[in-house]
Amino acid sequence: MSFRRLTSGGRLDRDKSVKFRFNGKRLKGLSGDTLASALLANDRLLVGRSFKYHRPRGIVGAGVEEPNALFTIGKDGTEQVNVIGTCLELTENLRAKSQNAWPALSFDLRAVNQLFAPIFGAGFYYKTFMGPRLKSWMFYEPHIRHAAGLGKTGTQGTAARHNTRNAFSDVLIIGSGPAGLAAALALAGTGVSVTLAEQDFELGGSILSSQNENLLAWREATLATLNRAENLRLLTRATVQGLFDGNQAIIAIGGTMVESLRARTIIFATGAVERPLVFDDNDLPGVMLASALRTYANRFALLPSKRCIIATNNDSAYETAFDLVTLGATVMIADERNGIAGELLAKSASLGVVVFAGSSIAAVAGKRRIEAVMLGGPHHVRLSCDLLGMSGGWSPLVHLTSQVGSKPQFNPSVQAFVPGPLATGHYVAGACNGSFGTLAAINTGQAQASAVLAALGKKAINKTDVPPLEADRGLAILPSVSPSKSRFAFVDFQNDVTAKDIAQARDEGYTNIEHLKRYTTLGMGTDQGKTSNINALAMLANLRDVPISQVGTTTFRPPFTPLTVGAIVGRSLGQHFRPTRRSPLHDWHEQNGATMIDAGLWKRAWYYNWAGKTPHEAYLKEMELVRHNVGLSDVSTLGKIDVQGKDAAEFLNRVYVNGFAKLAVGRARYGVMLNDDGLVLDDGTTSRISETKFYMTTTTAQAGEVMSWLEYLLQCHWPDLDVHVTSLTDEWGGMALSGPNARQVLERAFPEEDLSDSALPYMAVKDIEYEKVPIRILRLSFSGELGYEIHCPANFTQGLWEHVLKMGASAGLKPYGLEALASLRIEKGHVAGLELDHRNSLDDLGLGKMASSKKSFVGDTLRMREDMMAPERWSLVGLELLEPGKKLRGGAILFAAKDEIKGHGRGYITSVTWSTDLQIYVALGLYQGGLAHENEEIIAAFPLKNEKVRLRIVSPHFIDREGTRLNA
Amino acid sequence: MLDQHSPLGGDARFETTGLTMREAGGFMLIQYSGPERVLLRELSVEAAFGKNEKSEGRTFFRINSAQIWVIGKELETRHSSITNLSSSRCRIALFGEKARAVLQVCAAVDFSRASFATGAYVMTGIHHTPVLVHCTGPESFHIYAMRSFALSVWEWLIDAASGL
Amino acid sequence: MSEFRYGGDATKKRPGPGAGGLKVWHEYVFTFDNPKGPHEEFWQHTLGCRQWFKLKRNTATNEILGGGA
Repeated sequence: MSFRRLTSGGRLDRDKSVKFRFNGKRLKGLSGDTLASALLANDRLLVGRSFKYHRPRGIVGAGVEEPNALFTIGKDGTEQVNVIGTCLELTENLRAKSQNAWPALSFDLRAVNQLFAPIFGAGFYYKTFMGPRLKSWMFYEPHIRHAAGLGKTGTQGTAARHNTRNAFSDVLIIGSGPAGLAAALALAGTGVSVTLAEQDFELGGSILSSQNENLLAWREATLATLNRAENLRLLTRATVQGLFDGNQAIIAIGGTMVESLRARTIIFATGAVERPLVFDDNDLPGVMLASALRTYANRFALLPSKRCIIATNNDSAYETAFDLVTLGATVMIADERNGIAGELLAKSASLGVVVFAGSSIAAVAGKRRIEAVMLGGPHHVRLSCDLLGMSGGWSPLVHLTSQVGSKPQFNPSVQAFVPGPLATGHYVAGACNGSFGTLAAINTGQAQASAVLAALGKKAINKTDVPPLEADRGLAILPSVSPSKSRFAFVDFQNDVTAKDIAQARDEGYTNIEHLKRYTTLGMGTDQGKTSNINALAMLANLRDVPISQVGTTTFRPPFTPLTVGAIVGRSLGQHFRPTRRSPLHDWHEQNGATMIDAGLWKRAWYYNWAGKTPHEAYLKEMELVRHNVGLSDVSTLGKIDVQGKDAAEFLNRVYVNGFAKLAVGRARYGVMLNDDGLVLDDGTTSRISETKFYMTTTTAQAGEVMSWLEYLLQCHWPDLDVHVTSLTDEWGGMALSGPNARQVLERAFPEEDLSDSALPYMAVKDIEYEKVPIRILRLSFSGELGYEIHCPANFTQGLWEHVLKMGASAGLKPYGLEALASLRIEKGHVAGLELDHRNSLDDLGLGKMASSKKSFVGDTLRMREDMMAPERWSLVGLELLEPGKKLRGGAILFAAKDEIKGHGRGYITSVTWSTDLQIYVALGLYQGGLAHENEEIIAAFPLKNEKVRLRIVSPHFIDREGTRLNA
Repeated sequence: MLDQHSPLGGDARFETTGLTMREAGGFMLIQYSGPERVLLRELSVEAAFGKNEKSEGRTFFRINSAQIWVIGKELETRHSSITNLSSSRCRIALFGEKARAVLQVCAAVDFSRASFATGAYVMTGIHHTPVLVHCTGPESFHIYAMRSFALSVWEWLIDAASGL
Repeated sequence: MSEFRYGGDATKKRPGPGAGGLKVWHEYVFTFDNPKGPHEEFWQHTLGCRQWFKLKRNTATNEILGGGA
């Protein structure tokens, strides 16, 4: 047993035993334990195998800095991986498994990797798995993936519910150590709202690892005050995972809540973590951080069983030594420094702690756990021990200050990177600012709280009490010089990066810290290099013979500790992943045999079961209905925009390529608008309702874009125009009544109105009222048949739809869906979304003649660029399939008959449909040179399905070129 | 008579401890647009941003510098542009002691009693869709959601409530 | 998921309708200073009042330096 559990002491509830499982074995801990402390209490020192070499690994630390003790938690199928055991609260029935060992932790076959360690150096993957072809890496990769790695996630969907919420606070305090608590105490009762976030399940930070009665009492008294204060919100199990612009903090609370908090000011009291010393085999289980030994002793009542060695290069480790001795352990200190403070030596002597000055760790011995150390320096002794605590210095946790733009700067007196200049509203206190003493933490915490109050315009209240403590000690740190050649002196435990790797990387020219990181993978593990970064920087600086400040740090990125994807997703999953947009006829479609399809965020009726069981069967039937009789389709999703004002006509004239200023009241016109770059933005039909009022429609897909575009032009560039635009897409629903018998049905639906050909000619619009409901009837056609669009306020659209269907029942009127709607227009040669993809010009789409020469319009200048007018551009053609029985596919690549079928070809197919009129497959496409090649035979290739078919180029208007049907 | 239909299926209601939700339909929403001084003069309001104004049975919401929404009967104006938006929004009423907490889950706006009191309104997003949230009482609110998104927003609110 | 939509450089002068030749329009549409630092730009409150407005933002730090109409 390396550790023994003391019968008293620690912050444990001795009456509450907690059962848990580790690798299937049933074990017991106490309430107040972490998984790590409970494992140590059960003498489970070996907890995992390392990433690359599969070396046996033990627990190193006691907090967020832990690199080795990562576990898979939970039952089969719903496991959570890479959970940090030193932070995880021990709960009843917890199931934990070690990671990266097969078949078992104690007998890991992949440990054979160690034999290949000499070749597994830096850049191993880059250098080794290169082959003559790209395939080499693809061959090796799955094998490498199996041999390395951390945990294996579950494959079942989680039942856990991840909630989110928003919060607002005047002050966010990050951390509840002495600095954070002191700040909160100074803000209690001041009227400003405060949120304090602590990642541990208990408040107190480093105080929880202390033996000092005064300090512990101060904590108790402070917490009592804090809990009573109404303006404070204390969060435990709350990790600030990232900070973003506008002081937005993403806080993961428990495993089931993510809070997005916006704070006016932030006090960073994030503390610091200890770093290891680098020596051969410093990864042997039982080699831990000195401060961790102190935490396990004082907080978890776990004491080294026999003898413990403390190796250090600074004063702080003496605290650990003295605390352990006070509890009854035997401790020896190997101090790398020769000049050690007199008081420390005196106290050591009085407590019976042997101190070896000028001594480093030359070697450690032990098979699966440490058994002895060999000292280097003047005292060549071999000391048996069951634990070794190392202290290589302290690294402030500057992740969060760095995320919000403060570049860390090196403080040589404490050999640490501390936050650099901070933005307004950001304050640092305590160890995270390089002040490692408790009194300094409390004082700076209070001072920053006062600064925050001043910044928020409030008066500071009386200075709060400070516990009676001994004056802080400085670190007196002597930077260690690590052996640079050793391949078993670990710098990054989690990614198995050694001192040799760093030296080798630098020898190969990777001297920039960013290159070093990526070439060696140092600091790229789930711990983001918390225990390794600074040691590596120091080594690199040493090798390059430059000061550390010149080497700099890499970028700290969120999350601070591992975060599940589920927590990030929150409630945005399944049906809640995106909002669904429904037409006013949605319920009717679902109740009347429609199969729905997604069109962006919209659900649209794809086809109806009256027409067939499959989309292919149904759309043909629906198309036939429209071509030979009459059908009704839901067009409510079209963008609709209200354009009103004295200058409405002038505005439309500027925006559309064709003229609108002279459009008569009661008439509609097809319009195309360009972007500033001269390419087509959108098309639609706009009607003039009055002198100053127009009703614009856009495509469904571009409705939002066009709306913002019109608002942009009016508000940012043409504020002198008296025009207002408002979206009516949701206000009005609409239906298309199409087919040779459309008028018949229309007249039956609105018997009081004159809807004859003369009263409502092609491209006319009429506002009527039916049973007090305003109805707008537009005579226009997307299908190419005689057609009308009937629009009315959305609350009444279903009522109107049902009415029209009823009135058309005797004529055989039925609904038709999106598939048929989109196919009918292809025969007519109407461009739609698939052609309007913002890459085509007016001329490309065969609409060049629409451009007015009498007025200026958006895009008119840049559309005249030479390349935009070139005849070899890909422009709109119609295509007929010459091989019956074969398939035409959208996206197929077009080639001239004599071309080699290779590369991008001369164009592609944009839209395909069966032509009920011609009884063949037809398509629209873009082809180099366009209709200059009319009547030529070309090839369409679809390489994904290995298909090639012959086509003929024809006019895109397959039916009714004279427009007789439209004008019927 | 042409039947009217609601995007929430009519008679929509959700109840749980501390929270009731139902559709509060049957309202008129008219938008008035025009140059600011003309608008304010024609409607006889001050219409400050963020707080509703009530007058003669109508509620006024200032939308932007050139637009005001009126809930209630149409007002006669000569120079302002009028756009009827009564079908474009679905109004959801939310009340109970959990109402504020539900809103706080759904939008990054401070909905606390102090910051969002009776009469206050805000235009923000719920579930990626534009909404206007109006505080009608210490524990009651109206949400004006877009009609096409209404059911999605309704379901999102219920889901948010079930996480409280 | 943003309530706001970015609208680009607000310092460029848009040629009036019918004004400016190919060079002027090419410059306006395709070339940008793209400064590292304070940048005056357009934004729209899309999920709210639909108002377009000008904002000064530091492109390196994302700090908002003030707004305008």
